[in-house]
Amino acid sequence: MTLFAPDRDPLQVTRRQFVRTASIGLAGSSLATMLAARQAPAQIKGSNLRILTWSHFIPAYDTWFDKFAGEWGEKNGVKVRVDHIPHLEIPARMAAEFAAGAGHDILFNGSTILTRIYFKTLADLTDTYDQIGKKYGGWIQAARSPVEVEGRIYGIPVYYILLPMLWRKDLFEEAGVKPPDTWEAARVAARTLKAKGHPTGIQLSHCNDANLNWRSLLFSFGGSETDASGDHPTIDTKEMREALKFGKALFDECMTPEVFSWDDASDNRYLASGIASWIHDAISAYRTTESTNPAVFKNTYIGLEPAGPGGKRVSVSAPNAFMVWKFSKNQAAAKEFLVHLMDNDKQGMIESTGYNMPFLNDTAKKPMPVIGSDAKLQVLQDFPKIVAFFGYPGPYTTQIQEVANLFVLPDMFTRVARGQGIDETIKWGLGEYQRIFAKHKKA
Amino acid sequence: MSSTFQAGDPETGVRVAVPLAALPRSGAWFRSQSARRLGFGYALLAPAALYVTLLVAVPFLFSLYLAVSDATVGEQMAGFIGLENFKAALEMDSFWVALRNSVVFFVGAAVLKSLLGTSLAFLLLQEFRGKKLVRALVVIPFTLPVAISVLGWKWMYDSQFSVFNWVLSRLGLIGTYGTDAWPVWLGDPRLALVACILVNVWRTFPFSAIVLLAGFTSVPNEVLDAAKVDGCSFLQRFHNIVVPMIFPILMVGFLFDTVFTLSDLSVVYILTQGGPGNATQILPVLAYQIGIQAGNLGRGAAIALFLVPLLAPAMFVFLRNLKRREY
Repeated sequence: MTLFAPDRDPLQVTRRQFVRTASIGLAGSSLATMLAARQAPAQIKGSNLRILTWSHFIPAYDTWFDKFAGEWGEKNGVKVRVDHIPHLEIPARMAAEFAAGAGHDILFNGSTILTRIYFKTLADLTDTYDQIGKKYGGWIQAARSPVEVEGRIYGIPVYYILLPMLWRKDLFEEAGVKPPDTWEAARVAARTLKAKGHPTGIQLSHCNDANLNWRSLLFSFGGSETDASGDHPTIDTKEMREALKFGKALFDECMTPEVFSWDDASDNRYLASGIASWIHDAISAYRTTESTNPAVFKNTYIGLEPAGPGGKRVSVSAPNAFMVWKFSKNQAAAKEFLVHLMDNDKQGMIESTGYNMPFLNDTAKKPMPVIGSDAKLQVLQDFPKIVAFFGYPGPYTTQIQEVANLFVLPDMFTRVARGQGIDETIKWGLGEYQRIFAKHKKA
Repeated sequence: MSSTFQAGDPETGVRVAVPLAALPRSGAWFRSQSARRLGFGYALLAPAALYVTLLVAVPFLFSLYLAVSDATVGEQMAGFIGLENFKAALEMDSFWVALRNSVVFFVGAAVLKSLLGTSLAFLLLQEFRGKKLVRALVVIPFTLPVAISVLGWKWMYDSQFSVFNWVLSRLGLIGTYGTDAWPVWLGDPRLALVACILVNVWRTFPFSAIVLLAGFTSVPNEVLDAAKVDGCSFLQRFHNIVVPMIFPILMVGFLFDTVFTLSDLSVVYILTQGGPGNATQILPVLAYQIGIQAGNLGRGAAIALFLVPLLAPAMFVFLRNLKRREY
């Protein structure tokens, strides 16, 4: 059987071809019209959309998000349900939904990014990603790393959470020390201020901030975690040695042993208590002092990521993305909702009081919502160029996710801070990295 | 082939040959009273057997299957890789630390729970005003949701705001905040594991106490009174009368407690996530971090299965002792 009769004129159009071409044209033009009108297609009407997301650190954002999702559902005839759970529970929930082949349609991933583990059962969102990017001037450079697998996109990056320098200008001025624009300046300031009862602290414990903060320091020192392919760990380097040496000095001179017990919120409390000279944390730490300790709030300033010895600045942030299960029967509605969410990217940033940093270039243009009009926060607008995620300069791979889950990098800094030799520590760390890399099937 | 059936009298031991034709035919046997009683017995057992099969045997066999496969949380298919996951676990430094900590955690918690549980049970045996209220209050730690109660402890252990430290400091027993004499409960590797054990003990020793209390109240007062008249001291009565009489209850209590303690994930996970620097890492937390969070189900299952060699001997000893006491 052949598809075409051999004696047919190639320019001749059959009835079937005509119908097919006309249908495609009609569907395309309808989609374009609907997108232009920001109206959802009729086929999503009557469907149910279940969204699993985290409990945001800014509760007002959750209130807005739930209302926003509900209103979108009402407008488009979609029954929307939003479930919030603590972000640490998301991996277990995701595993359970995968095993059951049922659950939510849209899933949130924050801090622990599981795109590469689940990509075979996640809906391919490349078209949606491209469509959104095209509309809003493209995505910032770091956006693809957490959601891209083998050239396809399996998640829509919605925002990332920055950890800038939060420093006490009053204490710095009183002690006559320079602002913490470089890691060395930060060290000198904290050393001076520790003697006056104002040490600093970075978590040397098992928590996500430890993973983020020590990576920022390492990468700003010119170090890296993997090569550009993400296949090979690159932690046995001169830069890693320098970073570890600096980390040890920072602990000895500027911190107290409290940092060994800290969780993600301990440094917030440290700042709010008025003791910390500076911390390297999300701006929620600064925001909360507005009500808990107004004097600290007034004197706390936000700094750009401190530069390493070579002037390099890399800010390791926590990415947040939404994914859609392939088994979801409501993929069309899910994609429509995600497009609508990103259409309101600026509003989301406003509702989060500037906590959510934008992945879209147009939203990231100066002046950004909220932070662009706040003198202290304006510096955050310079971060999109220096943002990186775990695995830098390579992609955010499954291997790196396990390295982060087991806190291997912060443990290296912890070992050195506790007195273990740098060579011995690197040998241990490299062994852990290599073991994890060797055992994982590359996604 | 013989056409007779050896039957006998169980009391006299005399065995006689009975012609097979004299026995009821197989169809008739199923209708006999013995068969019906047997069937009824199995029917009564069936729910328990089904429960054990579905909720214990199937998950256990499934975890065995996972442990010898390269299963990940994101793939439906998994290949057989033999003992690779076990080998990989044994090569991990953190596995050996977790194994050691699990044993220390179990032994430390068991000793403390035995002491506190026994003491509390004896206290609750005494007659005093408000006894019912006290009995209700002591089980609160056991009944509270673990996440809430452990978060409370996390605050009490906080490096800056620890209520223990502030009280001890005001009493002059430790230094002031910011000095080396200010304990960092969850930051000092030695203190951190002790802190985790204490929370586990606080949560579950009321269970030990309730089990023991149930045992103590089952000992007839006449026996104890007779021993008192004979001049037995408190310890003699406890050792020679109470313990032997409540031994089966004690064993069941130990059995549950061993499982609860060795498989306790929540306390360590919420307090320290295994830190600082793996100082509080235990097998269930490591298995969760690798199996669920990092998505490597096979290796996570293999690590969790290392709990079996720890639990199995204890279970064997407990159950064998129980069985011996039955006869």
